[in-house]
Amino acid sequence: MIRAEGLHKAFGPKQVLRGVSFEVPKGQSLVVIGGSGTGKSVLLKCLLGLERADRGTVDLAGLTNPTPHAVAPHVGMLFQGAALFDSLPVWQNVAFRLMRGTGRMGRVEAKALAVEKLARVGLGPEVAELFPAELSGGMQKRVGLARAIAGDPPILFFDEPTAGLDPIMSAVINALIRGIVTELGATALTITHDMRTVRDVADRVAMLHEGVFHWQGPAAEAFGSHDPVLRQFTEGRTEGPIPTLR
Amino acid sequence: MNPVATLGATGRGMAGALGALGRFVGFTGQALGWMLRPPFHLREVAAQLVQIGWLSLPVVGMTALFTGAALALQIFAGSARYGAEFAVPSITAIGMVRELGPVLGGLMVAARVASSIAAEIGTMKVSEQLDALKTLAVEPMQFLTVPRLVAATLAMPVLVAVGDSIGILGGYAVGVTRLGFDGPTYLRNTLDFLEFWDIASGLVKGAVFGFLVALSGCYFGMHSGRGAQGVGEATKSAVVLASVLILAANYLLTEAFFSA
Repeated sequence: MIRAEGLHKAFGPKQVLRGVSFEVPKGQSLVVIGGSGTGKSVLLKCLLGLERADRGTVDLAGLTNPTPHAVAPHVGMLFQGAALFDSLPVWQNVAFRLMRGTGRMGRVEAKALAVEKLARVGLGPEVAELFPAELSGGMQKRVGLARAIAGDPPILFFDEPTAGLDPIMSAVINALIRGIVTELGATALTITHDMRTVRDVADRVAMLHEGVFHWQGPAAEAFGSHDPVLRQFTEGRTEGPIPTLR
Repeated sequence: MNPVATLGATGRGMAGALGALGRFVGFTGQALGWMLRPPFHLREVAAQLVQIGWLSLPVVGMTALFTGAALALQIFAGSARYGAEFAVPSITAIGMVRELGPVLGGLMVAARVASSIAAEIGTMKVSEQLDALKTLAVEPMQFLTVPRLVAATLAMPVLVAVGDSIGILGGYAVGVTRLGFDGPTYLRNTLDFLEFWDIASGLVKGAVFGFLVALSGCYFGMHSGRGAQGVGEATKSAVVLASVLILAANYLLTEAFFSA
């Protein structure tokens, strides 16, 4: 379960989060949408303990306001740019957690498991020895996804999983996310402004606007909503209550 | 000019400088603390020994060769005024092992390694790789900073020793081919006048300089600003700070080792 209560976060005079509260029950997938610069990534970092919230509570896997180190065994994270380690080959990126955490695996066992995870995201064993710089953007995202699921974590976070990808590759990544989340029975939180991702991945949708969750509800209701803010965003219109100069 | 405004600006400047010093000292303390805590990433240390030590050998060797050669020429020109040309081998050797070997080696490594460390870690920060490490239960200070500090501290004395030898060889080559010294006599004069502490002090300096180079690179990498400009600024600052720290530390160590 992921739960946040009254999260506040400011950077200097700029108040980014003004009391964000929500709960994602076990096994559900919440997609958080919102315009650029509305604090979606800050919210994610606060949940993971990478940024400390000024006020409010985070409950993650039974831990309250956890540090990244404490929450790491329970969480997998796909970063927006994949954030693969350039100096390591693909298989070591995927097996990174397995080779360094408590109860660490030997190289042979870890590599076998990495190749298995790579196969799960549609990459063959020949990719294992390549370095991240040798991969396309889509392949890097797949490797990032394989790394996120390497320890079969019960909670998964996805930060803009389709950013920078073409529509076909976006659909592939969305399908992989949906399949993996279902297969693992994981609780998932995805941040995006790609409406295709919302349709493909979300059980529930929340819209972050002016520092709070302006709208929350089932995914099916998000696209038929009469809420003017949500509607402007999902339909991608320039006219409406959301300013275009941000 | 308004004196109150000037005073205010001076005060703000000093406060900023003290704040920066405090952050750097705090970072140093943190790094030393992480050095003592397991797990120890020995594979990373080995990789950094290659990066910092082995791959710096050509630049340190070339610098030492030409420095030793020029030093021999200068000492010959100076000592000839007093008819003391016989001192060229010993003074060249002492100059290399006590001062020029460690200092010039340190500055060359600062240019090559501090910049590379700052750029690498800065890029990792910008591309969220440091955050990724944390979400994988690995502390960036422990995984990135500590191996670089350990490797640089271990590698620099070896680089200095190699640089000293090559520098003395440069002096020998010039002495024998250009200044008319007899080869075996030049070598005997070099070895007879060098004392253990001459060599050891240079190696200790090397270890300190290696630590400072890696520390500057890691500090500015970890505190890099956003984007290409931020990483570029971090790289430049790392080299400048490492160079200044080497020269300052060299003076302090020389005072400590050799003042009467």
